[in-house]
Amino acid sequence: MLHPAIRHLFRTSLVIACSAHVGLSMANETIKLGLSVPLSGSGAPWGVGAEWLCRKAASEIAESGGVKVKGQVVNFECVTYDNKYNAAEGAKVAQALVNKDDVKFVAGSIGTAPVRALQSLTERKGVLLFTTAWGASIKGTNYPLTFTQMNTTIEIAGPLTGFIAKAHPIKTVALLNPNDATGQETEKTARKAWEAAGVKVVSSDWYERGSSEFQPVAAKLSALKPDGIDLCSTPPADAGLVFKELAGLGWNGVKIVEVGTGASGLIATGGNAAQGVYLGAAVSLDGPTVTAHQRALDDGVRKATGDSINAVQIGIYDAVYALKAAMERAQSTEPADVAKAMSSVTFTSFYGNKSGFGGKAVYGTPQQMMLPVIVTQLKDGKLVEVARIASGEQR
Amino acid sequence: MNERFFRQGLLAVALAALLSVAAGSGYAGNLVIWIAIAAVLASTLRFVLLIGELNFAVAAFFGLGAYASGAATTLWQLPFGLSILTSGVVALLASAAFGYVTLRVKGPYFLLIGFAFTEALRILYTRSEWLGGNSGMVGIFPPAVLGDYFPTFVVAVAGALILLLARIEHSHLGRVFVAIRDNDSVVRSVGIPVHAMKVLCFCIASLVAGVAGALQAFSNNVISPLDFSFMLSTFALAYLKVGGERHALGPVVGAVLLVLLASVAQRFGGSEQIFYGAAIVFGVLFMPDGLTGWLARRRTARAKTALPSPAGEMQ
Amino acid sequence: MQTLLQLFFTALQIGAVYILFALGLTLIFGVLRIVNFAHGQFFTLSALIVSVAVPWFANGGSPVWLAYTLACLCGVIVTSALGALVYEVGFKRVERDMTGSFILSAGFVLMIEGVFTKLFGGIVRPVPPLVDGNIDVFGISVAAQRLVLCGVAAALTLLLTLALGGTRFGKALRAVSIDHQAAMLQGISYRRIGFGGFVAATAIGAVAGALIAPVAAVSPTLGDAYLVKGFIAVVIGGMGSVPGAILGGLFIAFVESFVGFYFDPSVASLAIFVLVMAVLLVRPKGLLGHE
Repeated sequence: MLHPAIRHLFRTSLVIACSAHVGLSMANETIKLGLSVPLSGSGAPWGVGAEWLCRKAASEIAESGGVKVKGQVVNFECVTYDNKYNAAEGAKVAQALVNKDDVKFVAGSIGTAPVRALQSLTERKGVLLFTTAWGASIKGTNYPLTFTQMNTTIEIAGPLTGFIAKAHPIKTVALLNPNDATGQETEKTARKAWEAAGVKVVSSDWYERGSSEFQPVAAKLSALKPDGIDLCSTPPADAGLVFKELAGLGWNGVKIVEVGTGASGLIATGGNAAQGVYLGAAVSLDGPTVTAHQRALDDGVRKATGDSINAVQIGIYDAVYALKAAMERAQSTEPADVAKAMSSVTFTSFYGNKSGFGGKAVYGTPQQMMLPVIVTQLKDGKLVEVARIASGEQR
Repeated sequence: MNERFFRQGLLAVALAALLSVAAGSGYAGNLVIWIAIAAVLASTLRFVLLIGELNFAVAAFFGLGAYASGAATTLWQLPFGLSILTSGVVALLASAAFGYVTLRVKGPYFLLIGFAFTEALRILYTRSEWLGGNSGMVGIFPPAVLGDYFPTFVVAVAGALILLLARIEHSHLGRVFVAIRDNDSVVRSVGIPVHAMKVLCFCIASLVAGVAGALQAFSNNVISPLDFSFMLSTFALAYLKVGGERHALGPVVGAVLLVLLASVAQRFGGSEQIFYGAAIVFGVLFMPDGLTGWLARRRTARAKTALPSPAGEMQ
Repeated sequence: MQTLLQLFFTALQIGAVYILFALGLTLIFGVLRIVNFAHGQFFTLSALIVSVAVPWFANGGSPVWLAYTLACLCGVIVTSALGALVYEVGFKRVERDMTGSFILSAGFVLMIEGVFTKLFGGIVRPVPPLVDGNIDVFGISVAAQRLVLCGVAAALTLLLTLALGGTRFGKALRAVSIDHQAAMLQGISYRRIGFGGFVAATAIGAVAGALIAPVAAVSPTLGDAYLVKGFIAVVIGGMGSVPGAILGGLFIAFVESFVGFYFDPSVASLAIFVLVMAVLLVRPKGLLGHE
């Protein structure tokens, strides 16, 4: 009974051992960019959009002549795996990217827990990591190879709350967050920012992601009669449901989704109740300043995911260009050199501004991509940009 | 026969450990670790099946073991061996309490209590800042002295644990468990405390699951609450079902098959889920006794006549 | 007092969906003695189809209410067809095998959800409601769509109870769930009853999904949270018992409503899990279970 099993085990082990050594020796011309993103479940649109944008950026760079390092032309290739938003899968993706595929640059990673699993491997193996994950603990002098590719709640909260406090006479605000990593990070920063803007936080509640029944919590929030309600990192579709319930209960204050990334989910579930909502991490592609290029990218993401482009996915696009700039500045494709060059590099971001990396005061090292904080508001079913607050450190 | 079985088993474990050295510490080495941990998990599930209960709370005790080791290593700075011991002890104590209270319930109701317990613990982890909350706990590293041989260590420990479970199954105690599954009134009439025996079985399985959880924590270095949801119990059950419940090697075979399949499916991106689900469906429909059951039937059929018996009969 | 009334109504509305969900699950368990983890996918499919069909019909020139009704019909029919397929291909071979059916359904969940994500994309779609706006009931503002949902849930439950008691099919279902071998001796075709029961359960779930589409976030993962709660409702009430399913559904809804208001929804979820353990420890076969 044991013998065929032993043979089976032996054979499998041989296969494993062999496959570990079969790795295509990398030609100098193509560098693999890894992506650890959710491709299934509720985060799928982010991951699918991120993958599309990575490929688009890589092909744009190839068309314009590639990255010129040491007289050679280097092009990018995107390798994407599904991290299912948890640490165990994130660890598996980390192993696949770093050990199996010999990836030296991760152009994007989404989801705090899987990113931390990835980071614990990338820092040890000298792999450069770009992430959209929030939380100050992911950056710093202990993680010299990690860079954040979108505005985190730390960058957004201050400018957004300041803007709203000036535009509306609000004295009290109630918070609601999903019980996940982003929610927990956002709640802390949001609370501080509101207090700093002179607004009192009267309550802070949590709900489990996946739930569709927001009536009880809407009743609770409405009973507190706050001047404003900040849904922080609640996904747009859930936020729409909350605002709809609130409207039904008769609450009519200032509506904010502090780090909301898009409007279509809001409108889908909130309808009229979503009018006037302020979003802090969304991009409005309806204004006069929108370029044809930006619209083309938005169209592409729409075809791939069904929804418009958002800041999370844009982060991957910008990271690819940041890598190009840093590689050309450092004239090297070694992660350590590229990371050193990253802190002083400049490149043009999706938003059109000249971007670089800053945040030394907050994180200890300049690892935060400098992007404008764009405050948008839903007016008549369209997302309109009402303020663009440039990062203080931008040159 | 039993003694030969265990000598062969020890030999197999030693061989597997040696072979895993060849896998190295890169991707292949980690693949071996995942397979080993999955095999242990499925084996504990099979062990509790001896008393006839489907232990859906296996993910909960696995998670408790992982968090115990994580806390022991990162918060209390305990050495490696002591951390793993802590995991086992925490899982044992928790399972004793849980089992004592819940094993009066049977069948789908016990399944649901296990499910509810797993999810309740998961929510508790997310709300515990000291355990890292939703962002997870980081920095759980094995001692440098193991270095590149960590996969070998995991295989050796996993193999030993599976062998231990098999040993108990073939002992007098194991026969008591099976008797309880078949007819607990008879067992009670002989004077054996049935409830205490069920709790004992449950505790042994959970202790092993807790140690497996510790191994996972050290191998991934980062753990998060979503790692220990009811889907983990479902996957453990899938390993068991696809591998075959009847033979002690069933969970191992199932683990090898499905973990390798998941690794292959990873490159399909979003289709990974479809592929994996289809594999499970296929496994259950066409091999209801699992791969080992199917192989065993081929063997007896070949021994009997030239005609192989059809696999997957109606019950 | 106003608040209590509000919470009471909220609980009834939430409970309506859970009850419909639980009815389907308990029917399948009662007749086939299997656990169908993939029930949530049927619920989701119906909602997804409605979200796609309503704009399609409306653009074709039909008024909203007609478009919606047609879309609901589409949703229920397609979902029932899927249920029939899944039964024929899969569950038929694992009837009365709890472990096997559970794993099989878990495999189906992964497959079907993956296919939905590929077909429909992961985003949330808007669904215009059958009846818009809010209605005042005893001073409480209630969404009209949700009232419709409550009404349909009550009607379906009544229908099911009457069918189980009165019609031949219903009596056969009950006979099979009490003792399937004796039922077969009486000449009842187990195969046909199993098939019929499964499809009926799927249809009930589909109706629930179609009705909740306008007031929920319709995406491929819609059914997951409802599945967990529905499963709990069934087991609390006692598997195989229709009044049990109703009781279980209401129990969960009330906890979610009241605890969600006085604490927050996350605590409510935790409370549900803890309470389910408590209930099962006191009544190991569920509140009204009979097995």
